[in-house]
Amino acid sequence: MIISVSGLSKTYRVPIKGEGLAGSFRSLWNRQYRDVEAVKEISFAIQGGERVGFLGPNGAGKTTTLKMLSGLLFPTAGTVSVGGFRPQDRAVAFLGGITLVMGQKQQLLWDLPPQESFALNRAMYGVPQAEYRRTLDQLVAMLRIEPILQKPVRNLSLGERMKCELVAALLHRPRVLFLDEPTIGLDVEMQGQVRRFIQEYNRDTGATVILTSHYMQDIAALTPRLLVIDKGSLRYDGGLAALAERVAPERRIVVKGGPAELSQLGFVVVGGDHVATVTPEQTNQRLAAVLGRWPMVEIAVESPPLEEVMARYFKEGTT
Amino acid sequence: MTSGASTRGEWAILWRAIPTLWRVAVAGIVAYRAEMVIWILSATLPLVMLALWDAASAAGPLSGFGQAEFARYFAITMVVRQLTGSWVVWELNQAVRSGSLSPQLLRPVHPLVYNFFETLAAIPWRLVVLVPLLGALVAWRPEILIVADGWFVPEGWRMALFLPSVALAFAVAWLVQALFGMLAFWFEEAVGVFSVHFAIWSFFSGYIVPMALLPPAVAGAARWLPFYASLGVPVDVLLGTAGPVEVWAQLGWVVALAVVGRVMWARGIRRYGAVGA
Repeated sequence: MIISVSGLSKTYRVPIKGEGLAGSFRSLWNRQYRDVEAVKEISFAIQGGERVGFLGPNGAGKTTTLKMLSGLLFPTAGTVSVGGFRPQDRAVAFLGGITLVMGQKQQLLWDLPPQESFALNRAMYGVPQAEYRRTLDQLVAMLRIEPILQKPVRNLSLGERMKCELVAALLHRPRVLFLDEPTIGLDVEMQGQVRRFIQEYNRDTGATVILTSHYMQDIAALTPRLLVIDKGSLRYDGGLAALAERVAPERRIVVKGGPAELSQLGFVVVGGDHVATVTPEQTNQRLAAVLGRWPMVEIAVESPPLEEVMARYFKEGTT
Repeated sequence: MTSGASTRGEWAILWRAIPTLWRVAVAGIVAYRAEMVIWILSATLPLVMLALWDAASAAGPLSGFGQAEFARYFAITMVVRQLTGSWVVWELNQAVRSGSLSPQLLRPVHPLVYNFFETLAAIPWRLVVLVPLLGALVAWRPEILIVADGWFVPEGWRMALFLPSVALAFAVAWLVQALFGMLAFWFEEAVGVFSVHFAIWSFFSGYIVPMALLPPAVAGAARWLPFYASLGVPVDVLLGTAGPVEVWAQLGWVVALAVVGRVMWARGIRRYGAVGA
């Protein structure tokens, strides 16, 4: 087991500030606080080499959890162990074995070419030159960023910058990758490239990958295991397919166009197509009924989209 | 976990990293050429002070300071100020507020250690500004180099003590700024508080008025404060009005400030998440 988390909680003390100038002055003399429980008694364990996705609405506590795992935040209660270390001690051997990539924060030096940031990280992590060259060549080839290594970071596109962030974050060959929304703001093509890269990296090195994302595609493509965090609590721990099956088990039978008589079989018209919502058990029977009468129609069976599954799941939690 | 970092100690990594830290820091300085202009401007305040004191002492010396003494004093002050300048308070405040401290915290080299090397890397570039300024000053006021019985040449031991004293002044100034920067873990106004400190510092460090011109009671106390340790001591070591005792006091301040810094850092970092991590 590479990561074990038990009863992990984080409570922020946030000052309450009144509105306007008067409020500001009042809070100068008499500052009041309220406690915000960002993470509440979360427990889980992750094996080496696993790919795990943290999923949850904004403010659910995903990033807070990730920051406690990587040692940036001190837990209010509970214990965390990553590779046998207490992350918040930030021991050099711990830092040398992990990395944190934040889609919204960067570590690259803004006015210098990415190469300089890479060289700096090589030195700071004490990576021997030969090993550095080997890793760098490999990462540069995988991400196809050879042509941009000499350009100042400020002149790179968001996608190019993200790829360079990944290189900078992986030069010391970490065993555990914490990725906080690594594809945020990227176009679809670039998202795909980053996803493929993370997958290959995990396959080639056996590194553990823990990822948060707003994009369901990231989760669907990358992480067989899902931890759903909602209002600071862990609500689900398991596979995506199993969750979808539980929350939204129904299938949709879609007949392209189709004759009006389909309404007799329980179909309704949606955007010019006929659609019936059925349970998995009813699917085959209904398909047979349609194809028996109209063998030439174009027909498809769909599961509800993942976004819808999750939206329904989070709504479930509030009622 | 196995990796390059785990097999060596923190200090071993740092030692081997120094050439690269230095090289990248220099590349960064070159990229920020525009800041050179600001340094040139900030380097001229001792010249402004010189012009003021020059006028004030036109009628006769003040507490032993004639026009030549003032010129010499502010010339050396300008040199020391340039060699001891840093910007860690702004940098740290910004890093804490914006959360850009986070990636720095996850690297095996302490963010402040990196900043320290960055600051050192700027020194050669400061000299580029300093040397022509100094040349112009000496051309304008050649009496800087001349005393009653010939050339102005400090005793050998004073010249030998000058460099370590400048190094200690650099350390004191950097540490004080780092402490003010750490206030950003608690308050939004870390830089504002530093500005207030700067006003007091200007007065008691020897930056705008030589220690010898302060009222004796004030000077007696100011001599042992960190303000003077961060600028005035090396100046006065060279001019003959301070000696080994004041340099030892500088060393004392370095140790004391470093201890306070360690404690503050350890506490601040626990609060870090509450701001913007």
